[in-house]
Amino acid sequence: MKKSLLLASILALLAAGCSTTEINEPMGLNAPFPELENMTADGSEVDLEGNVSGDSLSQTALDELAASGELADRSIYFDYDRYAIKEEFEGLIGNHAAFINKHSAGVVIYGNADYRGSHEYNLALGQKRAVAVKQALEALGVDMSAIETVSFGEEHANQECTGSTCGQDRRADIGYVGE
Amino acid sequence: MIALSGVTHSLEVIEILGGKASQIPIAVTPFKDDDKNNDVQLMHEVIANDLSRSGLFSPIDISGVSQYPYDERDVNFSNWSALQSQFILLGKLRKTAVGRNNLQVEVIWSLVDIYKEKTIMTISLKGPAKQYRLIAHRIADIVYEKLTGSEGIFQTNIAFVKKFNPKQYSLFISDYDGYNPKAILNSKHPIISPRWSPDGKKIAYVSFEKKKPVIYIQNIETGKRTLLANFRGNNSAPAWSPDSRKLAIVLTYSLNSQIYVIKADGSDIKQIMRTRSINTEPTWAPNGKELYFSSDRGGSAQIYKVDMATNEVERVTYEGKNNLSPSLSPDGKLLLFLNQEDRKYRVAVQNLLSNQVLKLTSGPDDESPIFSPNGHMVLFTYKDYGKTSKIGTVSINGLKVTPIDVGSGIIMESTWGPIKN
Repeated sequence: MKKSLLLASILALLAAGCSTTEINEPMGLNAPFPELENMTADGSEVDLEGNVSGDSLSQTALDELAASGELADRSIYFDYDRYAIKEEFEGLIGNHAAFINKHSAGVVIYGNADYRGSHEYNLALGQKRAVAVKQALEALGVDMSAIETVSFGEEHANQECTGSTCGQDRRADIGYVGE
Repeated sequence: MIALSGVTHSLEVIEILGGKASQIPIAVTPFKDDDKNNDVQLMHEVIANDLSRSGLFSPIDISGVSQYPYDERDVNFSNWSALQSQFILLGKLRKTAVGRNNLQVEVIWSLVDIYKEKTIMTISLKGPAKQYRLIAHRIADIVYEKLTGSEGIFQTNIAFVKKFNPKQYSLFISDYDGYNPKAILNSKHPIISPRWSPDGKKIAYVSFEKKKPVIYIQNIETGKRTLLANFRGNNSAPAWSPDSRKLAIVLTYSLNSQIYVIKADGSDIKQIMRTRSINTEPTWAPNGKELYFSSDRGGSAQIYKVDMATNEVERVTYEGKNNLSPSLSPDGKLLLFLNQEDRKYRVAVQNLLSNQVLKLTSGPDDESPIFSPNGHMVLFTYKDYGKTSKIGTVSINGLKVTPIDVGSGIIMESTWGPIKN
């Protein structure tokens, strides 16, 4: 109960932070971006799951994941044009945070958006939703380097959704490395 | 006679909107051709469609005319004047076979001013009969430039993505009017944001083939492609600099979408702004010094510009709930974007001097607006009866909306290529 209250207040803070105007902080002009790892010159790739410091799920963890009713829900839904996590998903996030911490699991959060608006802006919006879930997990003690975020934007969305059915696409999904 | 100077034309057209916009009436008559059974017969229709699509011409209905002139000396000025035609385009074809299956066609055509009873030009063009559409586009370009003072775009290409089903996507290039489509990439994964390099040689695009968005640059001629950006997180929204040497791209390397500039060979990356809000959809001002982009830093999506030398940011759009997908006219005076109001996404244009905004399309699900290389037309996607996504053009004066037929499938993420030199 205490834990859920803490999460609620953190989520509220995150939500409040999202709606404020951001100040543009200029960086040093012409300065190279120091921590940016470029793709290698020989064309080899930065692997999505390879970026995650967490472990691939063990067989025990996989079995637990499959058997657990609490962990069956993997999707966090958002309001139109929004990326604040709603109270009703606190329990879901808390269950997964506990599972991740128990198994030192590597996680990938996939962000999504409904079809309305541009593909590129929806990619950014999906990312913001994935980031909101990542930050909620971090607030519950999950190591930030164990979580990777990726957005599919509207690419998996129902292109003919209307009204409330579009809500199905405004979503972030929790995925595990090794499942 | 309408004579408009080149670069200011689009602005003048915008300013005369509101019923006063005029279109040049022109008769485009069939060319004389003894062999009636071939596609070359359609050349005059190709020309008339080109001119019509621009919104600056109204080809007159010639179906009631029993006899067409084929030579400038045969024009009956009073008859054509009675049809309210200001100009007439006429001509004749000569065909010569060069070897087997290689029919050459020569068009000798004239543009005649009916009001002044004077021939403006008589020109002969030759080419392979198979490429009759290209020859017709060439004629339309010459007429367009002569009568508007601006370069025509009828010989340019467009690119678009076709989604056949959730597991089959193709990136196509075609003539600007959708003819001669050719797939340059087939993929099981989504492809978005194709952008033509200003030198016309390459297309940058975003592919999801690595289970996340990464940016490729593909040489159109050779089909060879290189991975431009596969950094941690999402890699998207490529935008070529005017000199084709750099690209603005968007990465989520640091968490949310941020804008970077990278050389076209993948080296020398640097971040343009550092914020916690979304910065995406960068596009270059023609001067190469500023980027326009969309951002939610003010609470809703709006368009801003950043001076890359000083990192100074200025908000550009204020009207509407959200404004997305910016791009600039070639003269840098007009901002083209997607405007959302009352749940409708429409193509809009803002005069950057007066900040007057005009909505060019009616929505409700329009996307991907991009200027033709002369700034007189806009290519965009729309949803047919709210369902299948298709492409079309709208003239910058808002007078002419014309679909582009590229067959079945969901057509999205269209973009316009440069004028070929």
